[in-house]
Parts: sequence; structure tokens; C-alpha cells
Amino acid sequence: MGKEALIEVKGLNVARSGSLVIHDAKFEIFRGDYVGVVGPNGGGKTTLLLAMLGLLPRQSGTIRIFGKDLERFSEWEKVAYVSQDAINFDPGFPLSVRELVSLGRLGKRNLGRPLRRDDWSKVDSALEFMGISDASAKRIGELSGGQKQRMFVAMALVRDPELIILDEPVAGVDAATQEKFYQKMSDLNQRKGITILMVSHDLTAVFCRMSRLICVNREVNVAEIRPDTDPNEILRKAYGDHFHFVFHRHECRGEFSHD
Amino acid sequence: MISPSVSFIDLLGYQFFQHAILGGVLAAFACGWIGLFLVLRREAMIVDGVAHTAFGGIALGLFFGIDPVLSALAVSIIGVFGISYLRNKGLAQSDSATAVMLALGFSAGLIVVSLAGGFSVDLFSYLFGSILSISRQDLALVSALAVAVLAFLTLFHKELLAITFDEESSRMMGIPVKPLSAVFNLIVAVTIILSIRIIGIILVVALIVLPALAALQLRLPFRETVLATVTIGVLSTVVGIIISSFYNVATSGVIVFTMVGIYLLIASYARLG
Repeated sequence: MGKEALIEVKGLNVARSGSLVIHDAKFEIFRGDYVGVVGPNGGGKTTLLLAMLGLLPRQSGTIRIFGKDLERFSEWEKVAYVSQDAINFDPGFPLSVRELVSLGRLGKRNLGRPLRRDDWSKVDSALEFMGISDASAKRIGELSGGQKQRMFVAMALVRDPELIILDEPVAGVDAATQEKFYQKMSDLNQRKGITILMVSHDLTAVFCRMSRLICVNREVNVAEIRPDTDPNEILRKAYGDHFHFVFHRHECRGEFSHD
Repeated sequence: MISPSVSFIDLLGYQFFQHAILGGVLAAFACGWIGLFLVLRREAMIVDGVAHTAFGGIALGLFFGIDPVLSALAVSIIGVFGISYLRNKGLAQSDSATAVMLALGFSAGLIVVSLAGGFSVDLFSYLFGSILSISRQDLALVSALAVAVLAFLTLFHKELLAITFDEESSRMMGIPVKPLSAVFNLIVAVTIILSIRIIGIILVVALIVLPALAALQLRLPFRETVLATVTIGVLSTVVGIIISSFYNVATSGVIVFTMVGIYLLIASYARLG
């Protein structure tokens, strides 16, 4: 292939409360990929992400991140993860949006160092990129659901990550806002070369914008998304034989991420 | 303590008053800042647990003729790590773990006190605070501890804020959550001990919790919330010291009443506005 694998998973088995949720997963994520993670609810998408990040123990299998075994990997500043329930914080927590996003600059390297002007300018440009500059002085509890999600992505961006992992970032957000969000992510992927892995239920967005697909329902199947890809062939492996997804490429708006 | 005929200007000249203000302001500053983190972590009652554990340490110190502040510090550190051990090992929830440590420390104190033949005046001063009669040596110790606490917070308040907001994400971001949390526990114990001379074991929880509670009602961003917390704590302590110097009433009691007054004022203002 010649492409650099940022994540390599082999023979991964993960159990949660006694039952196997991920069975014998094997896949790779390459630099520059824009990967959609799809599958039915309860199929193990979040479990897979958490195990990949070492936040959940695994039964067996190897996981390598940026060429290193997960257990020995320490350059976490390269990876940004926005969890599904990031937005379920205490609405009374005393933080402004700008303050929260600035916490993304923290890490092992900056331990105990005050934030400098260049840190704050990164914060401000991430807020602007995500379109929430106007809300920067607001308290985080005052934001709408969509704004909260964009705030957490901004917090991920200020870390200058090479890989961003997002778990259902647009759940419960209106269609127009979702579309804008996917556009932003395409921009990040294409213009800044950031590798993106995103759990999504919006199959149209996945097939229009993303370059690869990971289908998760206990088993994990991976496919390249090409103009001639038949979505149903792979989706049925996760959603069952009766699943039928009607998709016409001409419905896609904006650019294709991988054409 | 002094007759009402003494003017405020005279008061400023008394050494006991200067010592009290210096010790009080430092303690209130450290307590307020630490307290904001504890309130946000929903761990406020740990303060009460550790303070009561400290009673055991003070009794031991008085019994064996060691500086009670130092023996209390040692016992409180054991107490605070005991609470977090019980919690982390799943042996007890945070509130139950606190209750166990509180009872254990206080019982140890009672046993030592009974062996020593009962409560002494000294012991009372630790239970209820005695800031107006703080010695030069105690003041030096309290100041040194307060400077250590404030130095730690100045360096690591951002990291503590991130951990308080979301521990798992902080770990992923490479913030050393475990070591920082351990040092934070240590700092909590130190803060409690340095405040015992000022406000006493029974009421130290108020000095730590009330300023943060009052400031949180203002719904400000974090930086401003820290400033408001510390201001409320310091202001209440200074007011408490001044009033108690004039009217010869218990300083710790007046400090707590001032804080509760400010808290109620802000709370009703927040409800109206």
C-alpha cells in the first residue's frame, strides 16, 4: 500500500459485562483517511473506539497506534477523542466556552506552564473554524446541543491532532447544522490532512463524504468507498439481509472527499 | 478581647491583630481556592472527615509533646489517602468512606484524650480555632503551608480544572491524572490543617465550602469564579476577625455567619436577576 497505518487492529476481541461485543476485528486506518463507523445501536461501535484508545480492556488481540503497541504508545497529543456523552456535562459548571476550549492545549508537555498568546490564538481560530466565535464568552451550559458538540471538536482541534476520533458528533442536531458540520470535517480532512474516524448514523453523509467505512455489529467489516461501491453489500453484513439503503451519488452536495 | 473604646486605628497597631489578619487571609485564600475544586468534584464532605481525623492527630501531638499541627498533618494525610483508598478499591462509596475515617480519627482522639485525663484548654482551641491568640511560631507554620498550597494551585490549576471537568478525557490528553490527584489530596489535608488554627476543626468545612457555593451562584466563567470565591472567603475572614476583636465573641462563629450572610445575599440576588 505504501500508506502509513495510524491504527492497526488484529484479532481484537472485546467483552462487556461477560458477553463478546467485538469479535475478531481486523482493520487498519491510514493517514489521510476519512472513516465512517456505522452499525446498528448496541452493535459495539463505541466499544470498538474505547478499546482502540485503551479506555476499555480487551480479551485478546493487538492494537497499534502510530506504529507502536497501544500499551507502549505515549504520544497522546497526536490523538483527539470526543466521546458521545461529552455534551452531558453539569450545565452549572463555571466555564466559558473559550476557557473550556483552552483546556485542550493541556497535556504532558505543557504541564504547569501558563497558556501563552499562541495558545490563545489557536483557541480563537478553532472557535472561528467551528463557527462558534460569537459564543466564546458564554458559559458552556448556555449552548445548544449542536454548539456544544462543535465546542468539543474545537477543543480537540486546538491540540493540533493528527487523528480525530468522534463518537456520534451530530446526534440530535438539525439537518442543516449536520450538513455544515460534515462540511467542516471534510475541510479538515482535505485541507489540513487530518485523519478522521467518525461514528455516524447518517449513511448518506458517510457515502457522500468519507473514504472508508467500518461496519460494526459484533463483527467488524471494512470497505473502501468508491463511486462504484454498492453500499448494501457491506451494510447488510451489519444491519441484516433485509436492509436496503437507497443511495444516489447525485444527491451528494458539496465535494467528494476522495474523488 | 479589647474594650469597644479602642479605635479601629489602634486595633491595626496590635500585633495579635496583625498576626490574625495575615494568618486568616492566607488560610481563607487557600481554603477558598481548594474549596471550589472540592465543591465541583462533589467531595466537600471529605473536608469534614479529614478535619475530624485531624482531631486524633492533635490529641496525639498534645499527649506526646509534639507540635500538634505537625502530628495532625501526618494523621490527616493518612486520613485523606485512606478515604481515597477505600473509594478506589470499591470498599466504600465516597460519603461512607468519609464517615468511616471521620469516626476512626475522632475515636483515636477521644481515646488519647481520656488517657491524658480529659480535655485541656489547648484542645479546645483546636476544636474551635483561636486565631486571635495565634503564636508567631504557628503563624510561620501556617504561612509556609499556605504558600505551598497556593504555589501548587498556581502551577496546576488548569490541569486540576480539566480533571475536575472530565477525568477520562484528561487522562487521554496525557495529563498525569493519578499523580496530580494524589498531590491534590495531600494539598487538601495541608489546607485543612493550616485552617484549624484559624477557624477550628468543627467549622473548617465552612471556610472551604461556603465561599465556593456563594461564588458559584454568580454564574461566572472559571477565572472570575476563582476570584469571587477567594474574595468572599478573605472578606468574611477579615470581617470576622475585626468584629470578634471588638466584641470579644468567637471569631470562627462570626466568620461563618458573615459567609452565610454573603451566600444568602448572592443567592437571593441570583434568584431575582
